[in-house]
Amino acid sequence: MHRFLRLSILLVGMFFAVGSYATDTAPPITTEDDLGPQVEQPIEFPHNRHAGLHDPADDADPSKPAKGGMEINCMYCHTYARRSMVAGIPPLRKCIGCHQSIESVKETPRIKKLFEYWEAKKAIPWKKVHDLPDFVRFNHERHVQRFVFQQNRPVQEACGYCHGDIKTMTVARRQKPLTMGWCASCHQKDHLVSASSSETSHGPNDCFTCHK
Amino acid sequence: MSVSNLLQNWSTFRHEHPINDKPHAEIKWAMTIDLDTCIGCNACSVACYAENNLPVVGKEKYAHGQSMHWIRIERYWGETEVKEEYDPNSNFDMVQQDFQADQGAQFLPMLCQQCEAAPCETVCPVGATNHTEDGLNSQIYNRCIGSRYCSANCPFKVRYFNWWNYPEQENAWPEPLPLQLNPDLTVRTKGVMEKCTFCKQRTYTARNNARSEGRPVHDGDVQTACQQSCPTNAISFGNLVDPEARVAKQWEQQQVDLAKEKQEKDEKADNKLRGYRILEELRPYPSIMYLERVRESAV
Repeated sequence: MHRFLRLSILLVGMFFAVGSYATDTAPPITTEDDLGPQVEQPIEFPHNRHAGLHDPADDADPSKPAKGGMEINCMYCHTYARRSMVAGIPPLRKCIGCHQSIESVKETPRIKKLFEYWEAKKAIPWKKVHDLPDFVRFNHERHVQRFVFQQNRPVQEACGYCHGDIKTMTVARRQKPLTMGWCASCHQKDHLVSASSSETSHGPNDCFTCHK
Repeated sequence: MSVSNLLQNWSTFRHEHPINDKPHAEIKWAMTIDLDTCIGCNACSVACYAENNLPVVGKEKYAHGQSMHWIRIERYWGETEVKEEYDPNSNFDMVQQDFQADQGAQFLPMLCQQCEAAPCETVCPVGATNHTEDGLNSQIYNRCIGSRYCSANCPFKVRYFNWWNYPEQENAWPEPLPLQLNPDLTVRTKGVMEKCTFCKQRTYTARNNARSEGRPVHDGDVQTACQQSCPTNAISFGNLVDPEARVAKQWEQQQVDLAKEKQEKDEKADNKLRGYRILEELRPYPSIMYLERVRESAV
C-alpha cells in the first residue's frame, strides 16, 4: 500500500516539476538558424548598399567601387510605413528617380534590368519576405509613430525590431520569428510613451486588436 | 504569457462581473435600433454581406439552418396572447391567434448584442471568444475549434457556424463577386464560428486615424455597414462613454443603464419611454438598445 502511494506521489511530483519547468523555460525566440526562407527576387536588391553604414575607407579613393553603404533612411523608399497600416513596396519610379542621374552604375547588370522594367512600363514583381498570415493585422503606422517619432529611436533600430538587421543584407530575409508569442513578448514590456517623459505603457493585449 | 506572469499580475488578468469590473476608460461601442423607423427592408443585412465577406449559402443550406447572416430581420405578427384558460395539452398554435395583419408585421433587426457579461464567452473551451477593452465580444477565428458551445449558450442565436468551406462552394461568391471581398478581414474557413463584430475593421480604422491625429474618437467617425445602409436611419452606433455621442444621448434619454439588469423606469407605472434591451432579465447586459415601435392601438 505504502509502496503504491510512494510511486503515485513520485509520478505526480515529477509531472508538476516537468510541467512547471516547461512553462517557465520557453524556447529561445531568436536562434542563429531561425531565419526565414531565401526568397528569390526579380532583382537582387542590395539593401546593404543603400541603407548600410558608411565605410570611411571609401572616402580615400572615390574611383574604386564603394564597400560601405549610403545610410539612406528606410522611410525614404518605404514611405508608407509611417502613414498607413501596410508599408507597401516602393514604386519603380522611386528607384528611377535617383538612378537616372547616377551615371557610375548605369551599366551594371542590375541597373540595366531595372531600366528594362522602366522602359517596358512594368512594375517589378517583388516577392513578399515578411508575410504574415491573413488573419493577422499588423499596423506599421502605429509602431513607427511610437518608436521613431515619439521615442526618437533611430529608424534602423525601430524597423529592426521586427525586420532584423536589413542594412547588412542584400536581398532581405526574415530574421525574426514573427510568431504571436514573439509579438506578445514585446507587447508585455513597458515602453516609454515619449522620449521626454518617464511614463510607460505597453502594447495592446486584446486578441481582437491583431486578429481579424 | 508564462504561468509566473499570470500569477504575479492576477488582478489585471482577472475579469470580474461587469458591474464590479473597471469602467470602460475611453470607448464602449454601443448601438440603438429604432423599431419605429425600421421598415424591414433588409438593406442592413445586404450591406453586412458585402462588408464582412459573408457567403451566400443558397436555398438548400438555408433550409438546414446554415445561413450566415450576421444581421437578420425578424418578423413578428402581432403579440402573442396567452389566454387565461391556457391549456398545456392543446395545440400551441391555437394560442397564438392574435394576428394583426392590418398593422403589418413588426420588424426587429437581430444581430450580436455584444453582451457585457456574454454567455458565449464563459463556455468557450479554448478562449476563442472574449471581451475587448472597447466592450466588444470578440471572436478569434484561428483560435476557434468549432465546438459550437457558444452558439448553444447564446440566448439571441446570433452566432453562425461555417459548416462548409464556403470559398470552395459553388454559389457562395459567384463570379465576379470574389473581387468585392473585403481585404480588411478574413474569409473564414470551415469549422469556425463567426458573428457580428460591430464592423471591427471600421472601428479599428477610426481609432487608428484618431490616434494619428492625436484626438479622441468623435461621434460620426465610424459607421457600421448596417447603419450606413439604413434608409431610415433606424440604427445609430457610437461610443457610449462619450456624452456627446448620439448613442449615449439616446441611452440617457431612455434611461437605460448598461450595467443594470432591471431598469428603474420599468418599475414605474406611467413609464412612456420606448427604450428596452432584449432578454435583459437573463443578465447578459446587452450593448444594443431597441426603441419600441409606437403602435397605432397605443396612440
